[in-house]
Amino acid sequence: MNKTGFLYDLRYLLHDTGPYHPEMAERLQAIYKGIEDAQLLPHLVRISAQRADLKWIREVHSDPYIRRFEEVCYSGNRFLDHQDNQMCVDTYDTALLAVGGVLETVRQVMNGDIDNAFCAVRPPGHHAERDQAMGFCYFNNVAIATRYLQKEWGIERVGIVDFDVHHGNGTQHIFEHDDTVFYYSIHEHPSFAYPGTGREFEQGQGAGYGFTKNSPVLPGQSDDVYQSFFESDLFPSFEKFKPQVLLVSIGFDAHAEDDMADINVTTEGYTRMMQTAMRLAVQYCDGRLISILEGGYCLERLPELGANHVRVLLDI
Amino acid sequence: MFVSRSMSRKVATVDKETGLLEAWNMMRKHQIRHLPVVDDDNHLLGMVTDRDIRSALPYDLAKGGADPQKVEQYAHLKVSDVMTTNLLTISPIHTLQDAILLIEQKKVGAFPVVDKSNKLVGILSVRDLLRAFINVLGIGEPGTLLCIIAEEKVGQMKKIVDIVTEQNISLGSVLVARYWEENKRAVFPYLLSNNVARVKKRLKEEGFRLLEPMDWYIDQLPEQP
Repeated sequence: MNKTGFLYDLRYLLHDTGPYHPEMAERLQAIYKGIEDAQLLPHLVRISAQRADLKWIREVHSDPYIRRFEEVCYSGNRFLDHQDNQMCVDTYDTALLAVGGVLETVRQVMNGDIDNAFCAVRPPGHHAERDQAMGFCYFNNVAIATRYLQKEWGIERVGIVDFDVHHGNGTQHIFEHDDTVFYYSIHEHPSFAYPGTGREFEQGQGAGYGFTKNSPVLPGQSDDVYQSFFESDLFPSFEKFKPQVLLVSIGFDAHAEDDMADINVTTEGYTRMMQTAMRLAVQYCDGRLISILEGGYCLERLPELGANHVRVLLDI
Repeated sequence: MFVSRSMSRKVATVDKETGLLEAWNMMRKHQIRHLPVVDDDNHLLGMVTDRDIRSALPYDLAKGGADPQKVEQYAHLKVSDVMTTNLLTISPIHTLQDAILLIEQKKVGAFPVVDKSNKLVGILSVRDLLRAFINVLGIGEPGTLLCIIAEEKVGQMKKIVDIVTEQNISLGSVLVARYWEENKRAVFPYLLSNNVARVKKRLKEEGFRLLEPMDWYIDQLPEQP
């Protein structure tokens, strides 16, 4: 059994998106309850939220954006940049706590205290651009973790695998010129789903060309298509790149019962996806894998998806 | 909607005495396929395309890998030897709809745009039309596309727009297409939001049918089952 970290904090529930918003606190509670009911909590190393040092956020986001987010939030506005990004007065602090918690988790993995970890955080991050909030995301948790790994821990090659059903435009754009970060995303085809990026021909820019790989999946497709995309797109890319640490943007919204998109991955399919990621981490990264929550909105399925997710990390 | 708004105004041109090899190099440098031929006052005389030039030159020369002797052999060829003079042109106050229909009918890749005195003012290529189409679709911005089957009667669009507005979502574009069922239309609203689950639910509650994404179409009508 692995030593698996589990980042969860009641303060992640404080980010209130208002009525009829899918990115709600209940998502996180559902995941927690699933893990608790499966009696997995005693096996996990609990990690609490911490406020992030702004210097790490500045590695990814522009200063004017960070200040704007803080001001717009503290002055009581209900959204940032777009109606999708609903917030309350606690949102900025919650976002700082999400980043800080993720960085602490990365620190514990790098320090050898734990083998791998699941960060159950809100708000999510993979749509957040350098200077813009987007698609329920404010700070790009996974991108900031990447820079932290590189600057604080001297990691040269970071691999990011994005399983959310929506393309992580923010993460892709932040690293598209960079040949030290490989971004792989599998998601519903952008002609059918938000945000409209992540087409096959988006492969990076300049020095980063060839270090971005997108697998757009057509509506209605399921586990077998995911598996064949991993074989044709993900495995060869990582065989060439050889990441030293693996970050997983874990979105549970490709599940068949999640109505945010039209992809039909099963619960077992999610387990196999995560097992695939674990095998890659063992093969290239000494097992160092940190998964960070993005989307996933089906409150009925999130408990089992969360529990299965940590089972795979624990390797039980 | 006018050609003048979508055409490229900076046009690389040649005069009719220009050597064919020089014209070919210009095309490759600017990555263009059409070179209008003009006189000293910018009156349009003709046009050369990459295909005209390629057919006039041997393969290795067009590829740029020929020896100097061969280059010399073809150096006398001029633009006037191969240019098309019987030209289809379009005016700046033609509309994009005119241009799309004409390009499809005449099977050309670009139109020189000329004013009343036949002076060249721009060029409108298929690529310019595509740019306009991307703008109209709104796909440069993040959003979610839906396909709603609606009765063809007054007030349907209002109902759809009301439901979208209730959810505080703005529209990037709306396309309407024919549908094989009589008195039905397919409406494709592009919603500038990630948060569309509730819109979908509300549409269904109001009696609209959402077409499965794999059955969406934009060109041919779907077949009757």
